[in-house]
This record gives sequence, C-alpha cells and structure tokens, in this order.
Amino acid sequence: MNTMALSIGGETVTTKLAMRMEDSLQAFAVRAACFIGELDVPYSEEFDGHDFGATHIIAYVGEEPAGTLRVRWFQSFAMSERLAVIQRFRGHNIGQLLLERARKLAESRGCNMLYAQVLPADVKYWEKQGWRRLVAEDASTGDKRIVAVVRAVDPSKPLPDVEAPESVVLRREAQLDASGLPLGTASN
Amino acid sequence: MTEAKTTTISNRPVVTIKLATTSDELMQCYMLRAAVFMGEQHCPYWEEFDGNDYTASHLMLYVDGEPAASMRIRWFASFAKLERAIILKRYRSYGLFIPFVNWAREFCRKKGYSKAYLHAQHRLWPIFERMGFRKVDDRIFHFSDHEYGAFVCDLDVDEKTMPTVFTDPMVLNRPEDRLEMPGILEVSMDRGASNPHADWIERRTN
Repeated sequence: MNTMALSIGGETVTTKLAMRMEDSLQAFAVRAACFIGELDVPYSEEFDGHDFGATHIIAYVGEEPAGTLRVRWFQSFAMSERLAVIQRFRGHNIGQLLLERARKLAESRGCNMLYAQVLPADVKYWEKQGWRRLVAEDASTGDKRIVAVVRAVDPSKPLPDVEAPESVVLRREAQLDASGLPLGTASN
Repeated sequence: MTEAKTTTISNRPVVTIKLATTSDELMQCYMLRAAVFMGEQHCPYWEEFDGNDYTASHLMLYVDGEPAASMRIRWFASFAKLERAIILKRYRSYGLFIPFVNWAREFCRKKGYSKAYLHAQHRLWPIFERMGFRKVDDRIFHFSDHEYGAFVCDLDVDEKTMPTVFTDPMVLNRPEDRLEMPGILEVSMDRGASNPHADWIERRTN
C-alpha cells in the first residue's frame, strides 16, 4: 500500500486507493476542506459528476486523511486532477507521493501518458517534476487560464514529440469538465 | 413545514430547508462540514466524522439549489441534540442561521420532543440566549479547540398532534419532515395485501 517511505512528526505517510465507501468519503472530505473551505469553490463545481468514474488515491499521515488525487482514465492517457493536501500537512511532498502513486498505477495498467491541467504560475514546478507543456498557446482565454501538461509514465520511454498534441482530443474533455454539472442537482 | 421556501420574491435567493433523505444529500452535508470544520477550522477528520453520523438525522439548507448549510440532530430519550451546525462562508451574510435553527426546533417539536439541547461555542452564547435557549448549568467544557456551554430550549409540543403509539400507523411511516403529507407507503396500499410471505411461517416453526 505504500510507495515512498515518508514520515511527518513520527507518523508514517502512506497512500492507498479508495476501495470502500468510507475511503471515498475521506478523499471527498479532503477536497471539500481545500477547495470549498479554503478556495470557496461551489459544491456543484467541486463535485462535478466525474467522481464515480474515477480512481481516488488517498494519502494518510498516520490514520489521518491528509491528501488526495483523482485519476480519470481515457483511452490514450490518464488524467490526474483534484490534487489536494490539507493545509497543515503541506510542505512534505505529499502531492509528489500521490502523483507517483498515480504514475505507478497508470504503469500497471499499461498506460503510457499522464495528463494534467495546471495554473500558468505552477508550470515551472510541474516542469521540474518531469512534465512538459502540451502546446505553448494551448490555454484558453480569460482569467482562469489553464495549461495542459503531460509526462511519460515510464521516464525511460519519453513521449515522441509528435505524439502528444495530436493524439489527444483535450479541449473537448476540458469543455466537458466545465459544463459537467452533475445531473439532478437542479431538482432539489 | 417541509421544503420551506422562505423567500421567493423578485430576484432574492430561494432558500430551501429539508431533511437529508438521499445519499447525495448526505454527501453534500458531509462535504459542507469538511469545508468548514476541516478546511476553515482545521479540525482533524476523525474528530469531525466521529461515528455518530449514522445514528442521526441531517438537515440541509440550499440557496438557489446550491448546498449552503447543514445541521445534525441526534435523538436522545428526553431531548433532541442539535449539533454540527455550519453555514458555508459565502452564505454567512444571508441571515440563514436563525431561520435554520428555528426550522430544526420546529422539526423536533413536531416529532414530539419537548426539549432542544445544544453545545454552543462561547462566542455564540448571546445569540442562543436571544433565541430562547438557556444555559443548563455553569459548566464550561472544551473539545476540538473550542469552549462550549450546554444550552436547552423548551419546545411547545402539541399533545394532540405529536406522534405516539396511538397515532395512525401510516402517519408514522411517512418521511419525518413531511408527517402531514401522505408518504410513498400509503400509495403502496393500492396494491392490497397479498401477503406474499405467508407460507414462510413453517421455516420459523422448524
């Protein structure tokens, strides 16, 4: 269940895949704390209807749910998203641990590309972690511009330059995300 | 009293309060609490989700259909305990707290509870006193980083309409926040009583 050995304040950090309802609730609670509580994202945007078609990875500090990452599976790539780490556990590379767990999971499934959408200000960080921009001007217009980044699942087999931009219909997925209000939320 | 649409005039937000009755509504309730208690107040997960969520009733408040506030009620023999009441930050200027607590009290009263009890954070004592709650005693206790006092409020139960063992059985089967409206099991009465398991009695006697 563990990937990299890591401990915070004497407590072991572990990761696991959400397998039971309680696990999923822990993953969702961490996201609610970070995105709804801290960043004021509306509930219906945060819980966008994709949660039950995705894999959730959870990081624990001891018994305490500390971070989570959602992975959605596409035909030619795995999309990591909704990365969240509880405030008091930040600065210990838990995000890295979660992304590494996602990479290994993708590897075990025979997937060879990871895809993510990141904020322009964070691109440098992601590039340091081995990710690269899909296309320089790929980002949509507006204030909340996002940059699509990809990385090879197996670092020894880099993605061919030509493969990434054309092989993936990314914009359509991004639009699906944006309009992906869960069905039924309007019928309270 | 259910689905109380308190404001529908012009472009003012529509506020809806109801008992959480589906797994989606329960999840909304838990996520609002995670946002406020874990995200804003840094409460650990295992203190927030303390094992009592599945022995309780949960109330949800929506603003224009968006989950905005929630509250948990646990049912003791002689009183109902209101707890885990939160309003999402962006809705705190809407004046939702008092109507929400009043809805909860009315819910408890209609169920026949003559006392609503709660642990109030010290800073909220004046609000609860204004709402008719009084301190149970002088004790001040603390948990999850906050100081609390126990408060209670008498509810004016209507002996004639409160549920008892002599209430129409089909009324007791109704959704609890809609005791005055026919429920789905009353519709099922149209099917008649075919007693499909009547034969099964032999299993028990063997």
